[in-house]
Amino acid sequence: MSLDLGFWTLQALNALQLSMLLFLLSIGLTVIFGLMHFVNLAHGALYALGAYFAASAAAVGGYWAGFFLAPVAVAGVGVLLYSGLIQRMRKSGPMAQVLVTFGLIFALLDITRIVWGDLALGLEVPDLLAGRVALLGVEYPAYRLFIIALGLAIFGALAFVLSRTQIGAMIRAGVDNDAMAACLGINVERLFFIVFCVGCALAGLAGAVAAPLLSVTPDMGLQILIPTLIVIVIGGLGSLKGAIAGSLIFGFVQTFGAVLAPQLASVLIYALLAAVLVIRPVGLFPAKG
Amino acid sequence: MFRHTPLRYGALVLLASAALFQAFTADYFGLDILTEIVILAMLVIALDMVAGFGGMVSLCHGALLGVGAYGYALLSTKVGLTPVAAMGGAVVITGAIAWVIGAICARSHGIYFIMATLAFGQMGYSYVFEAPLFGGDDGLGGIARLDLSLIGLDLNDGRSFALFSLGVLAAIYGVAVLILRSGLGRSLSGVRHNEQRMRALGLTVWRVKADVFGLSGLISGLAGVMAAQHVMFVSPGLLSWTVSGEALVVVILGGLGTLVGPLLGAAVFVLLKHEVGALTSYWHLVVGILLIAVVMSRANGIFGWIEARFGARIERRAADAVRDIDPREVKTDA
Amino acid sequence: MKRAFLAALGLATGFAMPATAQDIKVGLLLPFSGVYAALGNDIEAGFTTALEQFGSETPATFEIVREDTEVKPPVALAKAKKLILQDKVDVISGIVSSGVLGAVRDMVHGAGVPLIVANAGNDEATGEACSPYITRMSFSNGQVNRPMGKWMHDQGIRKVYTLAPDYAAGRQMIDGFVQTFTAAGGEIVGQEFTPFQKTQDFGPYMAQAKSSGAEAVFVFYAGGEAISFVKQYDSFGLKADLPLYGSGFLTSSLYVNAEGPAAEGVITALHYVPTLDNPANAQFVEAFKAKTGRVPSEFAVHGYDAGRALIEAVKAGATDRESLANALRQVSFDGPRGALSIDPATNNIVQPIYVYETIAGTDGLTQKVLAQLPAEADPVNGCEMAAPVSN
Repeated sequence: MSLDLGFWTLQALNALQLSMLLFLLSIGLTVIFGLMHFVNLAHGALYALGAYFAASAAAVGGYWAGFFLAPVAVAGVGVLLYSGLIQRMRKSGPMAQVLVTFGLIFALLDITRIVWGDLALGLEVPDLLAGRVALLGVEYPAYRLFIIALGLAIFGALAFVLSRTQIGAMIRAGVDNDAMAACLGINVERLFFIVFCVGCALAGLAGAVAAPLLSVTPDMGLQILIPTLIVIVIGGLGSLKGAIAGSLIFGFVQTFGAVLAPQLASVLIYALLAAVLVIRPVGLFPAKG
Repeated sequence: MFRHTPLRYGALVLLASAALFQAFTADYFGLDILTEIVILAMLVIALDMVAGFGGMVSLCHGALLGVGAYGYALLSTKVGLTPVAAMGGAVVITGAIAWVIGAICARSHGIYFIMATLAFGQMGYSYVFEAPLFGGDDGLGGIARLDLSLIGLDLNDGRSFALFSLGVLAAIYGVAVLILRSGLGRSLSGVRHNEQRMRALGLTVWRVKADVFGLSGLISGLAGVMAAQHVMFVSPGLLSWTVSGEALVVVILGGLGTLVGPLLGAAVFVLLKHEVGALTSYWHLVVGILLIAVVMSRANGIFGWIEARFGARIERRAADAVRDIDPREVKTDA
Repeated sequence: MKRAFLAALGLATGFAMPATAQDIKVGLLLPFSGVYAALGNDIEAGFTTALEQFGSETPATFEIVREDTEVKPPVALAKAKKLILQDKVDVISGIVSSGVLGAVRDMVHGAGVPLIVANAGNDEATGEACSPYITRMSFSNGQVNRPMGKWMHDQGIRKVYTLAPDYAAGRQMIDGFVQTFTAAGGEIVGQEFTPFQKTQDFGPYMAQAKSSGAEAVFVFYAGGEAISFVKQYDSFGLKADLPLYGSGFLTSSLYVNAEGPAAEGVITALHYVPTLDNPANAQFVEAFKAKTGRVPSEFAVHGYDAGRALIEAVKAGATDRESLANALRQVSFDGPRGALSIDPATNNIVQPIYVYETIAGTDGLTQKVLAQLPAEADPVNGCEMAAPVSN
């Protein structure tokens, strides 16, 4: 085991990057659940869609075309899903929601196969972000630093919106007690719609951002789903603080676990989840304590 | 509380006749599909017990089935027990593990409960996948079926095995009904409706949940044993969360809390997968759209819809038939 | 010219004999849905290409029955039962995953149905679990990696760090390499097995490799994991100081273009690349491209050679399950991979292994063959079988 500081710095940066990627995914999902009490298992599928849209757009206009178009495209899909499906299912219990989103997972899996084929797609890192940066004594890929920066920026923006703007206050009120918020004259339906679409856009962005790093395959949605769910449950549903806390915990446990105890690595994160659920069943920082 | 309405009896009779008809007339592949449906039905009965009647939506039942399957595989091949002993051992082990899971997760509700069970299921999956004892992802083969030559049944024959599985399913159904009608079942119903109240009444709520989960685990373990005997091979995929997810889908598709609905759901789901799969390699899309449609219809699954549409009518007719018999008009032979 | 002559000869003997229309029913047991569909489709395309090209060499006609395994052992077993008991096929071909192979092995052996394995590489299938009915036309995990150990040592590399996913195939692939590399005098300075299909970020492992003091890294990854690994390896800038070697699945022509420039300079070893320079391969690549619009991968060549093997067996006079199983064990021909034959001691294919470097080509990435390593039969490894009856 190397005691070289550079090695540990490298791993810490890796952990941070993984956390930020998961944060982009989990924030959308957790606020959707916190506000709408809707379990959207298809969130992973939206992430995959984002990656595919980005790959297609990038083939025509380069990486940045994908980066900007993917969230918009997935938000568009979100609009369709909301008006066609989610709106009607909102008042149903978790069972119905599980079933509907499971059905969505199945359907979207095959839709990506039909539209984009079975072969894996690739997406190149933009020239601007290719290469490495010398940082804290190590050479770290610039693109991964970009992911970290992006995640932190979005965290900052969302924190600002949620705590300093009126719409943020309305969202927080809705998460706290949507019936009461409606009584106070807040258009809760429209709020839900906006939150859902923003959540979808963030999932699409996560997909576009992850695509150059990982590969674009039909099952990428399924693979990211469990880590995302673990993040939001550990962190606590419905809150920004919960999402960032959960993401950081998962990222660091996963990364350092892989380095320090590779045999236990896969069991470790589930054991952690079970432990959190036993000690604090609602997660660490839920919106509603 | 579980009641047998005339509609449910009728459905059971229909399903049983269809199954027996299939068992005696179908060819090899048809028998295989029948056995697959029957084993899935066993698992979904176990799941309906906890999810439909107990309000505990579990995503680890696939893993429990896997534990039962691997338990049987290891006890019979590596430890060398006789099939009967191995079956018993596997079922007991699975029940014990399920009891522990139920006890640990008893304090969680809703999405947290689902996630907790998912966590345990995935832990099992990861462990089985990586431990060399379990053969890794190449799986374990060479599993033998139960030897019923004493009563003249060769279970290596597809038809006999299908009939045997049907018998086991019928027994499991009966046991599930007994459990749900017992004191434990009523406590469970109470817990599902209002946990606080039950606690106030002096009930040890976590024990009730754990006990029911454990019993459900016994049934799941038996389903796993049957699955291992059917395929004569076990692989870690049995414990994957997607198996648990599919089981949950079948329960909801069939009708949560009806016990009969999931049986119907199992048949519909498996048949649909095979029929659609024969037509196109994009059967996930078709099944997905169907699921969405079923849910959007707001019914409690297929059987729930049938009950809502026709159940009241049939019950009224049955009540009318009884009521219309005027005792004075009954001819007696003096 | 030679083909035309043979065809004419075949026709002539066909006229001379009474018309016995042999109909060979083939069951294709492959994944056609889900994430492995791409491999299943490639293998099938290769198989049907072979039947089209060589089918005329025998009067027999071939009927294909396709069944989807979904890469799930229970599903595959049910479909295998259907093919054997209901469709009554004479021979089965396919099988992508080693788990599926393990599941159907007993059934196929017990029912006496020949199985031509067109992908699954687990060593036991032609080792302790071998069967006179199972012939493998693809590869075995050890076989594709053993030659690389000695070759890398010959290049002057002495210290290697290995990485692979933690499952049976991953371990077997690395074991094959480690065996020969250490036997030649090299040193393995570190090994890691990453959680299979759950690792998305290989960064932590690459950092470990870097700090291990190795001169080179040897890995096995396939599919989506291979794409992620190669791209991430490049992003860390390790290739210059720590060259990347591996098993050819890392840069398979099926998905190497998704890896982009990151794959350039990676040297791997595999039993087939589309740029092999021999007439049989040129013919195959052309026919495959015309049929599917893409360059064939090693999966496609598995299917192609499986089809060819079947035809050779039929040409040798086999007509039913027993005779087909017997004849398949003795096939040998020159295919796109070079000179191929089945070793009757294990029923595994004997084939040359090619070391190649991935380089930029005119139409995407292409493979430059660096060396052709001699074909070696697999060690018997616990297989006990009676020798086949000579044709």
